[in-house]
Amino acid sequence: MKFGKRLQQQIEETLPGWRDKFLSYKRLKKLVNLISSSPPPSHRHCVEAEADFVYLLNHEIDKFNAFFMEKEEDFIIKRKELQQRLQRVIDTWGPNGARPSETNCKEDMAEIRKDIVNFHGEMVLLVNYSNINYTGLAKILKKYDKRTGGLLRLLFIQKVLKQPFFTTEVVSKLIKECESTIAQVFPVDEKEIGRREPTIRVTGEGVFRNTVAALLTMQEIRSGSSTRSQFSLPPLDLTDSEFIRTLQMNSPPIPIPIL
Amino acid sequence: MSSSLPVLPTPLEDTFSKLPNSQQVYMEQELRTRPLAPAPHIPANSGVVGHIFSSSSGLSSDLQYSSASPHEKLPRTTSFISQSSTPIPQTSHSGLPQSSTSSHYTKESSSSWCPESLPGYVDFAANTPVQNSQMEGSSCSGAIVSEEFSKRNDWHEWADQLITDDDPLGSSWNEILADTSMTEMEPKMSYQVPKTPTSMPAHRTQVHQQLPASSTEIRTVVTPSASANNAPAKPRMRWTPELHEAFVEAVNQLGGSERATPKGVLKLMKVEGLTIYHVKSHLQKYRTARYRPDSSEGSSEKRLTPLEEISSLDLKTGIEITEALRLQMEVQKRLHEQLEIQRNLQLRIEEQGKYLQMMFEKQKSGIDMLKGSSSNQENSSTSLAKSELEGTQVDHDKKGSDTANANSTNEESSQPKELDGKQKAPETEAPENAELNVSELSSQPSKRPRTEE
Repeated sequence: MKFGKRLQQQIEETLPGWRDKFLSYKRLKKLVNLISSSPPPSHRHCVEAEADFVYLLNHEIDKFNAFFMEKEEDFIIKRKELQQRLQRVIDTWGPNGARPSETNCKEDMAEIRKDIVNFHGEMVLLVNYSNINYTGLAKILKKYDKRTGGLLRLLFIQKVLKQPFFTTEVVSKLIKECESTIAQVFPVDEKEIGRREPTIRVTGEGVFRNTVAALLTMQEIRSGSSTRSQFSLPPLDLTDSEFIRTLQMNSPPIPIPIL
Repeated sequence: MSSSLPVLPTPLEDTFSKLPNSQQVYMEQELRTRPLAPAPHIPANSGVVGHIFSSSSGLSSDLQYSSASPHEKLPRTTSFISQSSTPIPQTSHSGLPQSSTSSHYTKESSSSWCPESLPGYVDFAANTPVQNSQMEGSSCSGAIVSEEFSKRNDWHEWADQLITDDDPLGSSWNEILADTSMTEMEPKMSYQVPKTPTSMPAHRTQVHQQLPASSTEIRTVVTPSASANNAPAKPRMRWTPELHEAFVEAVNQLGGSERATPKGVLKLMKVEGLTIYHVKSHLQKYRTARYRPDSSEGSSEKRLTPLEEISSLDLKTGIEITEALRLQMEVQKRLHEQLEIQRNLQLRIEEQGKYLQMMFEKQKSGIDMLKGSSSNQENSSTSLAKSELEGTQVDHDKKGSDTANANSTNEESSQPKELDGKQKAPETEAPENAELNVSELSSQPSKRPRTEE
């Protein structure tokens, strides 16, 4: 399947507030077609289309940056917030706390756990957002270069690599931090781990669903291309994770291609 | 085309006249290598386009001459006004986005000139010595503020304010659970301006790449949390955990998020480059997060667990919930893992692409001296040479990656067109690229047809 379609799928599956923040791949592609279909290069429309193309690219990058930094800021605030909540719960209901109470503690902890897991998921989705937009940019630039014989790609990509939306280190750090917190906050329950449902339906528009969708989409995007080059990524291998194979998305059900 | 080209350097030169020579040279080189890049086309139909360009260059020079500090409203107001008065070329074309306000595109014009400038900035800042300057107060943080044109003259100051420090992030969570106080930790900035352009792209970006994000910055923030959108555009701030720590401390000192005022917080934080707008919007977010903790991320999002329904919180269901969460975590972790791998691959790929490009240019300059014409050889042999090199690059890539697919190593079909005329003799490549495995691909045709894997 083509990238444009995959991107579209991803956009549809994504969290509601994010839908218009993704790359306008189709529009860019149209511009590239416009550019390459009206030779000679000095033709008026061609040059205009090119200028538009670059405008749009820069506009998209700014869009990504703004959204990304906004989200990053939100995450930083939320992380602090969750930390404080956790601290409060431990202080109030925990064993050393002022009013030790197991049931209350459990309830609050369950609540916090859910929030932390969703927080983690959202951060991962942001990294995914960054990545898929980068991939799209790389693809459209490659297309542009191919169609017009230009040299835009290398230069532009170098610029893109330094953009805030691509430099996801801070978010990744937060994610890892989150994971270690969760490891500590979750009870260890060995006997439950082995039990899994044969097929798990993922419903709703929540973070989990989007994460699964993102993972599957990534696999599909990388599964094989007719225009592979040294700039292409190798296919994604998820076969070693059994349960991912058993996941199935609701409406419409997407069978999982195992490579 | 040739008539429009002379227009191209002029606004840029005007714009960047105050920059050091190395930068200017760099940009001119870029202009030469990108003849098809935004060409200001001035004939009648595209008069609008030209108008935009001239306005952006006028804008640049305006801002340049204001040596005022970055927090000044005035340059921003000027930029806002001059940009909002320019018509939008895109409305004359079909299918172009108007999802956001028209000012987006007009703002866009100024940053579209930036691509050339950015590498220049990168180089420039890399040569600026970094001085360790301790910030006042209990927190030491340097703000990374993104301002586009007005910062050009202030690079020295910015570089000075950055602190080289390597304090890792991961302090807080574990500390809490080990029952120690958060306030004992000293927030430190971990930004660094490296001397070499290739090192630590992550940190560099936070210094330099605020530039393009800037002028289109506040208007492009379409989220509701961007308050005071009627005000002159504020530069986009990239908040970090350390900075946030300082913020929280200041807020607590002032009596909590409700009582603290932006001005007070700004004063207490004593962070260079931080404006009251930044603090204001951040404070607003902070307040929202505190009093509506579950909906601060967007109340429209529904967070459903993968299992059908959780009716009550008895023990059995509790276990199910936990299991569901565990499952969710596993998927998320996996996705993140893959994303990191993918990103690293992408970075490496681009690096090799850059290397390749460099090599070709070196060769071209070398070969130009050696050979005369013999254009017959050129087309087939140059393409072949390029495919050889690229194929071997593919080999290198694939060997290094975990999920390599063996079939893909022989595939390549990219951009032989670029090199027509760049190379004249494939034979000279072999000694220069001794370590590459050339023989494997010597029998391949230069252009491969599109094939499925």
